[in-house]
Amino acid sequence: MSRRRPPWGAALAAGVAALSVGALAETFDVREPSLAPYRIEGTGIARPLTGRAGDPARGRAIARARTGGHCILCHAMPIPEEPAHGDTGPDLAGVGDRLSGAEIRLRIVNPKYVLAESMMPAYYRIEGLHRVAAGRPLLGAEDVEDLVAYLATLKGR
Amino acid sequence: MILFRLSHGLVAALVLLTTGVAQGDDRRPPRSGLEFVAPGLRQLQEDEFANPGMLWVMRGNQLWREPAGAANKSCADCHGKEAPENAGAAAGYPRFDAARGRPVNLESRINLCRTEEMRAPPLAYESEPLLALTAYFRHAARSQSMVADDSGAMTAVVARGRQVFEQRRGAFDLACRHCHELNVGKSLREERISEGQSNGFPTYRVSWQTLVSLHRRFQACDTAVSAEPLALGHDDYVALEAYLARRGTGLAIETPAVRR
Amino acid sequence: MTTVRIRVPSTVKQGELFEIRTLIQHPMESGQRVDDNGRPVPRKILRRFVCTYNGVEVIAADWHPAVASNPYLAFFARAGESGSIEFAWTDDDGTLTRETATIQVT
Ligand code: HEC
Ligand code: HEC
Ligand code: HEC
Repeated sequence: MSRRRPPWGAALAAGVAALSVGALAETFDVREPSLAPYRIEGTGIARPLTGRAGDPARGRAIARARTGGHCILCHAMPIPEEPAHGDTGPDLAGVGDRLSGAEIRLRIVNPKYVLAESMMPAYYRIEGLHRVAAGRPLLGAEDVEDLVAYLATLKGR
Repeated sequence: MILFRLSHGLVAALVLLTTGVAQGDDRRPPRSGLEFVAPGLRQLQEDEFANPGMLWVMRGNQLWREPAGAANKSCADCHGKEAPENAGAAAGYPRFDAARGRPVNLESRINLCRTEEMRAPPLAYESEPLLALTAYFRHAARSQSMVADDSGAMTAVVARGRQVFEQRRGAFDLACRHCHELNVGKSLREERISEGQSNGFPTYRVSWQTLVSLHRRFQACDTAVSAEPLALGHDDYVALEAYLARRGTGLAIETPAVRR
Repeated sequence: MTTVRIRVPSTVKQGELFEIRTLIQHPMESGQRVDDNGRPVPRKILRRFVCTYNGVEVIAADWHPAVASNPYLAFFARAGESGSIEFAWTDDDGTLTRETATIQVT
């Protein structure tokens, strides 16, 4: 399995670009109470959390909404009607060429499996967090799938 | 004290010169949040008259002279008629209060004077009069350099503050350092991330249209990462305040700063 | 308790333009906001601001709910006689805040 050099490696501050290589080589199942179980294989989660493909149009809406994923807080995305996209994360235009659907899914579910020091929130995780109120993840399984479907369409930059 | 600080700074400068790399976050010269704001806000902050935070400073000046409490004394009776004679002290809080065995910040120091010297009820955290007195005292120390006592009993407090600064929290699972150290100068939509320094507090926030204390800013940052905020005046917020003072040592006090 | 800041030069030359600056602490509550519990916050704004110089109006402004809180206003007047400059802000509920400055014309 080929591991691409992450395009954002250089942009990250010194000392945090260490990949947790151990996690990448393994296959393992993650189960959290009240969340759909999923299997991480290599760098991705191949099977949709809901068992079926999501809706890209809904995914786009979730990416821009302050009350949804609000991915544009940190990422530039091809959503021109929203002003002032953030730039703490990489530009996601063309992400569908760089990453597979499985890789995008793992990135959204819990990016710490890819990069232990990640600055990006895990959108489908409850356990192991400090001082949180809600006993539910940032996004539901369906929302994650809609986002995966949308990001996969961001090609041909 | 001053001599010590100078030589400390010199050592840091030498290390930087000889190795050419930063030696860890607390050796880089700190940068004020003012360097990161839009030009319009900068102008507003620097205009002594139009800066809305000056309304609180003025109000603080009035309160300074008003007698209160069973002792019927005003702050001015003990600390100077025209301006606080010990204004410079504001640049060095939090301090360790040996008598009470705990660190106190400026807000709690002012309240100690209210309850013990004036025999008046304490002012609520974030109330207009406490903000006004804090801003007045800090403004009187404007342009002086922030100093931090990290010796003796304060060593442990500063260390705790650093721990809090580096602890991931909230549904976003981010620590203060993820934004204010690793992403300085980058943007979260319309917000440009600064080093999260405390030299401008209490600060006027244009989006909230009011003066805010440092602890209220901590609450806002905690809430932004979906973490349960701590209470204003919480020990961990005081520790964080002590760590920020240590980290921002040398920055000029800019109270009242103006921010988005 | 309303805090007001006024800046007027203490002396000016006859016939010269001089700047007057004012800043007043006020929430300028638009009436369109809801509080943390979802209840609408009642409107409370400064409706009108008037400045007179020896009894003659220099500027009068009707403010609307979109004016930001703690409004700041700077404007110019021409130096006539020595005397007083009066400022008056009227609140939605009729509360009047007044302030006076004196000026010496040479
Ligand atoms: C708090 C900031 C932040 C938010 C919010 C955020 N991300 Fe990220 N994202 C990052 C950062 C920083 C990276 C770079 C690698 C890292 O640190 O994990 C990244 C990396 C990625 C990547 C990998 C990109 C590549 O080219 O390798 C994808 C895909 C991604 N994010 C998708 C999303 C989606 C979808 C959302 C919204 C649900 C989102 N991000 C929200 C900060 C964020
Ligand atoms: C009756 C006299 C008295 C009054 C009134 C009084 N203080 Fe004090 N204040 C003191 C004394 C004594 C100290 C020093 C206490 C110590 O060092 O332990 C002090 C210390 C302080 C300090 C810390 C200064 C430093 O050097 O660290 C501040 C700030 C302060 N007072 C603010 C106020 C304010 C604001 C008021 C009015 C609300 C006020 N004080 C009213 C007696 C007074
Ligand atoms: C998700 C990113 C993020 C995190 C995490 C975060 N902040 Fe902030 N913080 C901001 C932004 C954005 C601002 C407003 C712009 C600025 O001044 O940096 C800010 C402002 C501040 C300021 C005001 C700076 C000034 O000059 O007015 C302080 C102080 C501060 N943060 C401290 C903290 C502390 C302490 C923590 C940890 C409890 C923390 N922040 C966590 C994003 C963050």
